[in-house]
Amino acid sequence: MAVDLLTRAAPMLRALTGRLVRLLLLLAAVATASFALMAHSPVDPVDAYVGGDIAAIGPEQRAQIAERWGLDDPPLERFGAWLGNLVQGDLGRSLTFNAPVTEVIGERFLTSLALMATAWVLSGLVGFGLGVLAGARQGRLTDRVVCWWAYTLASAPTFWVGLLLLYVFSVSLGWAPVCCAVPVGALAEDVTLLDRVQHLVLPALTLSIVGVAPVVLHTRHAVIHALAGDHVALARAQGESPTGVIVHRVLRHAAAPAVLLQFAALGELFGGSVLAEQVFSYPGLGAATTAAALGQDVPLLLGIALFTTVFVFVGNQVGDLVHARLDPRVVDDLVRARRGRWRRDPDPDVLPAVEPLPVVPEPEPAGRGAR
Amino acid sequence: MGLHGRTARAVAIGAVVVSAVTACGGGTAGTTGGGGAPSELRLAIGGEPEDGYDPTLGWGRYGSPLFQSTLLARDQDLDVVPDLATDWSVSDDGLVWTVDIRTDAVFTDGEPVTATDVAYTFTTASRSGGLTDVTALREAVAVDEDTVELRLERPQSTFVNRLVSLGIVPEHAHGPDYARDPIGSGPFRLVQWDPGQQLIVERNDDYYGEQPAFERIVFQFTGEDASLAAASAGQVDMVAVPSQLAGTEVPGMRLVAVPSVDNRGIVFPYLPDDGRTTDDGTPIGNDVTSDLAVRQAINVAVDRQALVDGVLEGHGSPATGPVDGLPWGEPAAAVEDADPDRAEQLLEQAGWVDGDGDGVREKAGVRAAFTLLYPADDSLRQGLALAVADMLGPVGIEVDAAGESWDVIDQRLHADAVLFGWGSHDPTEMYNLYSSTRAGVEYWNPGFYADEAVDAHLEAAMAATDEETANREWRAAQYDGAGTGFGPSGDAAWAWLVNLDHTYLVDECLDVGTPQIEPHGHGWPVTAGIAGWQWTC
Repeated sequence: MAVDLLTRAAPMLRALTGRLVRLLLLLAAVATASFALMAHSPVDPVDAYVGGDIAAIGPEQRAQIAERWGLDDPPLERFGAWLGNLVQGDLGRSLTFNAPVTEVIGERFLTSLALMATAWVLSGLVGFGLGVLAGARQGRLTDRVVCWWAYTLASAPTFWVGLLLLYVFSVSLGWAPVCCAVPVGALAEDVTLLDRVQHLVLPALTLSIVGVAPVVLHTRHAVIHALAGDHVALARAQGESPTGVIVHRVLRHAAAPAVLLQFAALGELFGGSVLAEQVFSYPGLGAATTAAALGQDVPLLLGIALFTTVFVFVGNQVGDLVHARLDPRVVDDLVRARRGRWRRDPDPDVLPAVEPLPVVPEPEPAGRGAR
Repeated sequence: MGLHGRTARAVAIGAVVVSAVTACGGGTAGTTGGGGAPSELRLAIGGEPEDGYDPTLGWGRYGSPLFQSTLLARDQDLDVVPDLATDWSVSDDGLVWTVDIRTDAVFTDGEPVTATDVAYTFTTASRSGGLTDVTALREAVAVDEDTVELRLERPQSTFVNRLVSLGIVPEHAHGPDYARDPIGSGPFRLVQWDPGQQLIVERNDDYYGEQPAFERIVFQFTGEDASLAAASAGQVDMVAVPSQLAGTEVPGMRLVAVPSVDNRGIVFPYLPDDGRTTDDGTPIGNDVTSDLAVRQAINVAVDRQALVDGVLEGHGSPATGPVDGLPWGEPAAAVEDADPDRAEQLLEQAGWVDGDGDGVREKAGVRAAFTLLYPADDSLRQGLALAVADMLGPVGIEVDAAGESWDVIDQRLHADAVLFGWGSHDPTEMYNLYSSTRAGVEYWNPGFYADEAVDAHLEAAMAATDEETANREWRAAQYDGAGTGFGPSGDAAWAWLVNLDHTYLVDECLDVGTPQIEPHGHGWPVTAGIAGWQWTC
């Protein structure tokens, strides 16, 4: 048994190492590219920092500012110094916020996390539900309404949806607060969980509304695909009810692409949160990114770039794993691919061969017509 | 939610305040009016200092840093008055400023404010690389408990503005975390700062000066949309609005337009184009705008009131110079404008005539035509540039108004006219815009203006050891009474157009007094008089 575990653990470990190496390479590429972009930006960091006070800041003071920010050193040297500190776990100090980068990201990310997690779960559940509904009722009114709704949302810009919600629910109806993550004027110790939830609702709704569309459309497609499968025809022939067919024979098939998509969309979710946070003055990582970019805050921007890279990468990896749990064919594919890439010799004992699921034929309306 | 919940809470807090104030034996106007006055004010005036509240890095550079107190202050008329200082003097050579400070000031942590703290603050600020320029300081020395000597590298009468704007920090409690948790001797102390959202401050009962009427002030840092939405929902008492939105009707609020020196004006290349370039290869000079008659004609032809009415929708005033209404402004430097006939006459006399009948004058083969650049993303400057072009067409000057990015403007600002915006409570700005020593430095004096007499006045003003002499010299630089000066009546180096009004929607019950003429920044400067604000309902 122990030997068995070991033989099973080894490829897992290999897979993990492989992924870590890939992450490190990706991080190195992202850091280099971001820094190169920032270094070649036409915006002068000192000008960006000085802003409207340009009349009051003399050349000597500008020299001081450049020195404090280490702008006098050649770019390569600055990048080297930054890398050196990074290896020691020091991301540097944000110039815009006058605080350590790790502190800024930590603080802001906690706020954003609540927003993004809520939006993510909401859009996932609602999108999946609507997708299944539309797929099961393909071609009927429900399907058409859901599809129309999804296409409309897919083409609606985040900030526009946000402004619309802000106007309707905050200004006209007065149901929701107009801004921020906590009630204005309230001391931190007086802020209740309910307050926080109340302030979260509109931005999260904005984000999830926009994120729903792709999940709906992909799920719908997967459901239609699965419904046309032989196993569904068999189940139907054995007298399984329509609901039973969906629950027992289709959901798992449909869940796989939805889950994968949802994890892969973490990057887009992050991008959307930049806009939503701007509209609702929600002080998350998105707002900090905007400030860092406008202020030419290189340490903070690099920190955020690295952080989001890790975030999105981990999201994708988790998506892979969950997808593999839902669809054993993927494991097989992955193992086969990796074996080819990482080791040349065939190793048939790595995983028990999974009997591939029957190949699902293209969806055919005929299956429906047969009923 | 909204008004009712807010009022109820305000009344509850108000009751507590009334009893507290009575216990101290002094009622203030803010709590009169049958207990209906809120003890808390909510302002959405923007301008969050993202890097915190450390004066040595530039917090409070417009004066009145809330948490800290300054040595001197400016009153409503912008005259310098003592604050933390009781007395100050400048040595005859202008190099040593001796300041006596009051002995009854304490920091909010209970420690007294000493000359050592003042010396420490100035020394630190002069080396910090922040947004306050104290580089003229050589050293700051505490002579005794309550006297400090500020020794300068060079005479600088405008150094008084550092005494007005630099908040004194405690040496014993100043470090990297100070900006987030400031300790000072100002009228307020920081209760809570939620970066990106709000700042909550409370009255500092140990403050030596006039006690503000409001116990708590909440600054809400929301964008324009959210701020206006909050005002419409009755959740804020004051909101800064851009002048385009100043017409928005919000129930229970009135429009307060504060005059400012937030000005817009056209800088002219002063030198002819003889192929000169800067060290970076940027061309210098323009054969049209280098002609005095053209610059004067433009100053005379433009109808500034029409610009205010048309482009600013009435929220502003005509600008005749860079420092209108300030103690060092010279009203006599102005000329009568909106007079195209006089403009044409000036041009004719100088030899600019329309020989070929195309509506544009020429002189020695040069057409009276130039490009006027403005930042393309600024709709206000676009409006001004186009309106000016329309006004100058009839007098025979062709203006090509072109919106560009700052990158492009940077390459052309010495050879084309540019529509700039300035405005400061510190006359150093005027020095920088017109001194020949500042030609081509940063964005200062981009036209390479140079005049010996004006330079002499500017230097004399800078070297002056008293406010009165300095102001006299500053005024003489604009117009010396004998036809010389950089103003429109002299060399007309710029054509100043308008001063913006900074517009705020203010609760009908809130009396903000007569605010100071505001500098370029819209927002924080309005808080300069906050200690005197009253609730009138």
